[in-house]
Amino acid sequence: MNAVQAFKLTKAFDGLVAVKGIDLEINKGELFSLLGPNGAGKTTTIRMLCCLLKPTNGTASILGYDVVKTPFAVKKLIGVSPQDTILSERLNCWENLALIGKVHGLSSNEVRGRSEELLETMGLMERSKDQVRKFSGGMKRRLSIAMALVHDPKLLFLDEPTLGLDPQARRAIWEYIAALKGKKTILLTTHYMEEADLLSDRIGVIDEGRVVALGTSQELKTNLLEMHSMVVSTENLTAEVLEDLRNKYSRLEMAKERLRISHKDLDFKEIVDYLHSRGVTVYSAALEQPTLEDVFIEITGKKLRD
Amino acid sequence: MNFWEIGKRNLKEIYRNPVLLGFLLGMPVAFMLVFCAAAGGGQASPIAMSIVDEDLSQTSSAFRQNLGNIEAIEVNEPIYSEKSQAQEDLEDGRISLYLFIPSGFEEATRTQQAINLELAYKEADPMMGLQLKPIIEAVGFEFLGTAPPLNVELKGTESKIKNPAVNFYAPGIVVFGLMILISTAAEIIAGDREKGFLARMFTTPARPWDFILGYSLPFIPVLIISTFIYLGVGMALGLTVVGNLGHAFLIFFLIGLCAIGIGMIVGSLVKSESQAGVSWIFIVPIAMISGTMFTVERMPSAIRSVAGALPFIHAVDASRAVLNGSSFSAIVLDLYWLIGWAVVLFAIGILLFRRTMVS
Repeated sequence: MNAVQAFKLTKAFDGLVAVKGIDLEINKGELFSLLGPNGAGKTTTIRMLCCLLKPTNGTASILGYDVVKTPFAVKKLIGVSPQDTILSERLNCWENLALIGKVHGLSSNEVRGRSEELLETMGLMERSKDQVRKFSGGMKRRLSIAMALVHDPKLLFLDEPTLGLDPQARRAIWEYIAALKGKKTILLTTHYMEEADLLSDRIGVIDEGRVVALGTSQELKTNLLEMHSMVVSTENLTAEVLEDLRNKYSRLEMAKERLRISHKDLDFKEIVDYLHSRGVTVYSAALEQPTLEDVFIEITGKKLRD
Repeated sequence: MNFWEIGKRNLKEIYRNPVLLGFLLGMPVAFMLVFCAAAGGGQASPIAMSIVDEDLSQTSSAFRQNLGNIEAIEVNEPIYSEKSQAQEDLEDGRISLYLFIPSGFEEATRTQQAINLELAYKEADPMMGLQLKPIIEAVGFEFLGTAPPLNVELKGTESKIKNPAVNFYAPGIVVFGLMILISTAAEIIAGDREKGFLARMFTTPARPWDFILGYSLPFIPVLIISTFIYLGVGMALGLTVVGNLGHAFLIFFLIGLCAIGIGMIVGSLVKSESQAGVSWIFIVPIAMISGTMFTVERMPSAIRSVAGALPFIHAVDASRAVLNGSSFSAIVLDLYWLIGWAVVLFAIGILLFRRTMVS
């Protein structure tokens, strides 16, 4: 049985179709990322899986329980950290954690034990008795994730867990998520490719309500990128050499003395040898590592952070 | 018991929020201080005087007319026909003093016998009686000619109500204070919807009734404590409780429930916490026409009908009456009205709030 199983999941709002028949299978213990630009349908998908929105069409189940027919069975199994950090602002950390824990049926002792553990892990113990409205964005986000974990859910939903945080806070949260890997099934949404690349077992690239690519980060980069690029730092390039290269390769970009060559089957040695043979000085030459952003542009034809 | 956890959270969000508390407690207390202080000055002229006309003759009527023409006196309407009724109103603080014209007034003037009128006033405020006595005697002298002699006897009555102004304003402002619960409840509910807190809680196994109870029950202790505080301030300012305080509490409790019900309705209909501020658009006018701060007697009948259809004026009237000594039977109709409204408003509130949980 899969942790998450969605079949042709669709959601329309007043004629606007936000999610267009998504099929999704997430294995137990896997960290799966939905990567896509703002408005791609990531949050709508998560909201359907969390029983907050009824799908217009299609079905979804969490650990075998249908999200529409048995929502309360699903809600017992999941922990959700929503996109906007949503806390009870005038409660302290302990009280926020106790609220979620107790609503999930934990006893006072269990709540205290779990809270202590989570507050230590998340580095919030020192400020644990302060009302959370005084916290920084990063601290709030850490507490929000702790709240999603307090009842030890089988499946964790993290909707844009690092959105709007500074790089330091982001890195801290990545560490906590990485530490959870393998222990919980996690469905994470993000529009930061670095985040998806770093944390995920598998990535589903989502755009305009559809999953347009699916696989591990490496699979996506190797299978989907048709073009490879190399960057060469040179001197004394002639117009003739440039013309030659332009005829031979698909794309040629020139900025200052840096030459960027892109082509389907790029032969590093062939290019360097050719430049030498034409008397061009080559200071350095390197093949470019593809990024998920390249993959995304390749698939959708647009930048990720639009 | 999930509702208990949600309710506890909401109660904390209320009592730890100084702005909400400022509105809920500070504003009515400030109003009470201002109104009672403003009404605490000396009696302005002309002096309002009630008349008991037991004689009900042409002569007594003409005499009353003459009294009404005097600038220093304003004759209250209606004219009493029975002394006991006027005496009761005097004791309860509804009137300040009355002149008693006994039966046989016309006969006595015709036969030129001595006439004794009685001017009853509160012992706590003897000045008005002393001021009026020579005026009334002078009017009588002019009205009757030289003879027969007309004596105005002064008769002090000890009123149980120490300060009628406070007894008038305090119950009204308690009701106004409880009306603020409309905005408190609406802001909490709308704010939690707007910020997504409710949505987050909907991903937990809490059931719809946990939310309905969790978002209505916490306002009940708030309502009870607020009532205690308002009444405490009222008493400190001189509110005299003549009647049954328990009955007054019952009235305040019911009007508080109505306010919470309206708050749930508004909170479910508006889209944001700031939009919940629209509740003030009707809190203030309804408070005005319901007589929480001014008497409604001079308002046009159409406005009084509107106010009469709503629950608030009933709470104001009934609480004033019980605090001034009316019996339970006198407020039963108002109570039915309040119970009916509380049930209807709560039912609509629950229905609309439930509707927000389904998408």
